[in-house]
Amino acid sequence: MTVAVSASRPVLIAALRDLWADATPMQRFAVGLGVSLALLAMATPLIAPFDPNAQSLLSRLRPPIGFDRAKPDYLLGTDELGRDMLSRCLYGLRLTLTLAALGSVIGLLFGGSLGVVAGVVGGRTDTVIMAAVDTQIAVPFTLIAIFLLTLLGHSITVMVFVLALYGWENYARILRGETRKLMRMPFIEAARAAGATPARIARRHLLPNLMSPIVVQFTLSFSNIILLESTLSFLGLGVQPPTATLGAMVGAGRDYMPTQPWIVIAPAVLILIVTFAVQTLGDWMRDRADVRLRPR
Amino acid sequence: MKYLLTATALTALMVTQGFATELKVAAANVSSYLDPGRDHSNVGSQFYFNTFDPLIHKDYSTAEAKWVPGLASEWKLIDDKTMELKLRQGVTFQNGEAMTADDVVFSLNRMYQATFAPYQVRSRDRLENFAGAEKVDDHTVRIIVKRPEPLWETLLNLQQVFIIPEDYTKGLTGDPMVAEDSDYEAFSLAPVGTGPYAVSEFVPGQKLVWTRFDGFWGDKAPLEKVTVTRVPEIASRLTALKTGEVDMITNVAPDQLALVDSEPNMHAEGRATALFHVMIMNVNHPKLKDPRIRQAMSLAIDRDTLNEALWLGKAIVPSTHTMAEFGALYMPDLKTFEYDPERAKALLAEAGYDGFEITFDTDPVYYTNGLLAAQAIQEMWATVGIKSRIDVDEKWTGNDPEMMARNWSNPMYFADPFGSFGVMWAPGGPSESEGRFNTDAAYAASWDKFRYSSDIDTRRAAYAELMERIKQDPPVLPLYQPYESWAMRTGVTWVPQAGHIPYVLDFRSGAITVDASN
Repeated sequence: MTVAVSASRPVLIAALRDLWADATPMQRFAVGLGVSLALLAMATPLIAPFDPNAQSLLSRLRPPIGFDRAKPDYLLGTDELGRDMLSRCLYGLRLTLTLAALGSVIGLLFGGSLGVVAGVVGGRTDTVIMAAVDTQIAVPFTLIAIFLLTLLGHSITVMVFVLALYGWENYARILRGETRKLMRMPFIEAARAAGATPARIARRHLLPNLMSPIVVQFTLSFSNIILLESTLSFLGLGVQPPTATLGAMVGAGRDYMPTQPWIVIAPAVLILIVTFAVQTLGDWMRDRADVRLRPR
Repeated sequence: MKYLLTATALTALMVTQGFATELKVAAANVSSYLDPGRDHSNVGSQFYFNTFDPLIHKDYSTAEAKWVPGLASEWKLIDDKTMELKLRQGVTFQNGEAMTADDVVFSLNRMYQATFAPYQVRSRDRLENFAGAEKVDDHTVRIIVKRPEPLWETLLNLQQVFIIPEDYTKGLTGDPMVAEDSDYEAFSLAPVGTGPYAVSEFVPGQKLVWTRFDGFWGDKAPLEKVTVTRVPEIASRLTALKTGEVDMITNVAPDQLALVDSEPNMHAEGRATALFHVMIMNVNHPKLKDPRIRQAMSLAIDRDTLNEALWLGKAIVPSTHTMAEFGALYMPDLKTFEYDPERAKALLAEAGYDGFEITFDTDPVYYTNGLLAAQAIQEMWATVGIKSRIDVDEKWTGNDPEMMARNWSNPMYFADPFGSFGVMWAPGGPSESEGRFNTDAAYAASWDKFRYSSDIDTRRAAYAELMERIKQDPPVLPLYQPYESWAMRTGVTWVPQAGHIPYVLDFRSGAITVDASN
């Protein structure tokens, strides 16, 4: 694992094939699920039967097909304003995944860079960055999120920013540890002796070896970010109506739980599926990356 | 009525036999303070009627103004600006003090000649014409107005002039001989009145417990004890009712009524409340200055469809700012507000609307169906070409110069157009002082004729003039009188009565019966 890899195309495909051969049925199922959800989200504008915000007030609260009073056009029924549940679920999934992906990537870049810098530079810089990390860990994040959203208002940009702030400390902590470990490795010593600049060392020698903890942390935090987005939107702090995200749909539907449960069930099940798929992939990646857990 | 009387008699009988008749209520909201004088919120109005009395009561079972003696046993005008009232003898407050003319003069003048800021606000918007009250003897008082008053009884029946004890209030803090602001603050946490139920426990915003006041001057209260607890989520309130944790719940949205009806052990009672859910528009917002834009915003909203879809058709959509409760001043023939999307489009084109975004602010939960209506309105605006964005926030933005449109309510504080439109839209009233509505000399003249004329036809004509002004330069669109419901277990018989202001939980004799054996 500590050998620098530069993956060419055939090698990558071979590695993926190797990975697939290695996977348990559950992991294969999760991969399938994840890929289908991603495809669904990407193809949403093509496959959604209705505009997600188009109301038809006089056919509100219709149940999914197969129940009494269902309307044939609405596979998953309609919500409290007569909007198509299926279309809203698809668009909600799309936006939730986009927000989570953006949040994770920005969090990764931000927290990851700080972690690597702390690990490479050390000393006072390290102390300051790690103090910030400890502070963030000590304060409940929902509190920070509510504070920021109240202060900066409710918009998609602010939401992405808040999601990115969630979990950066984990990237920073893990990558700092890995970097410090790697910095004492003989091949880094050798590169340094050969006159490589710190930037070159970071790019050519550190980064490839940090890929596996990054991938593991990314998948784990991705599902947490989805849950965070859902929580904030459920509380009414996230993306504003009528825009659909899965969490916002659950939040809006909670008054209808005793009477029209499908309004909550459909998006809630989607949240469940997405988190399940991502979490399973994350566990798998961690198992693969951890040498001690490897069977051979 | 006969049934109610028999049932009350039975209840009374059971109580004497040792059954404690108790009622537990789960309310969507509980006030953070209890003082009938300073409060005019939809939350507070639930609570005052059980604990306090006005000088003049009315028959609350009917919307008509049938005045009956309250704490005053008789009243007459002695000249066109002075009313003399004989006080009922033998009335005691819940703390044991006897009620005298001093208490009445104190209660009235704390409003009429208000020094405490929260009283001043209420005094300005509805009691401006009252100069003061004075004691004649221990059981006689006189009330003096500045100009001849056409609404004497109405304005003596107000929640704001319910009677409170003088000595008790003054003695709460500081100097017991002086009414300080801190006395009123303290009173609002430990209120005392002459009504049939004493507030025996009050946790602001959470819980209120009433116990029967045995020294009440009128008919004995039917319940021994009532506990009102705050349960904000409708799903939790319904569950509490279903499991028997509570006997009655407030604020059941129309969408939940089917569930209540399907349960064998509960039932719902509701009525179109004497209150308008309204949309307000800021006439002074730079982008909304042209009245044609606001007319279009109003004309684009199909209120009948909102009623059909969100209220099962049980709300009342008004043609003008008027309600049946206004009696002789109910004017449904006026057509101030209409649905006409074609005219809306034409007006937008004439005004040169360039597609700028109009924000609509709404609280997430305060108004039943408020957020849903906001989203429906957004969609209706979109069909005539108005672009909009919804801002969901608990913050009140009615006084924010950036506010463009938002939801609000115009309750009926007393049964007269003055008590609904008037309180909110009078010259210098809350809408104008918040900077989102302007009046001029002509408006003020019409207002004056409407407010002070003793001739019904003159008042109607003047009100029509005001409505025409509102139509030409609209600051408001009344959406509907919402249909509000309460649900209760079988064995509890209660209905919201037509003669009350909105949301009053009237548990006095004849208004509720509880089958204690259930």
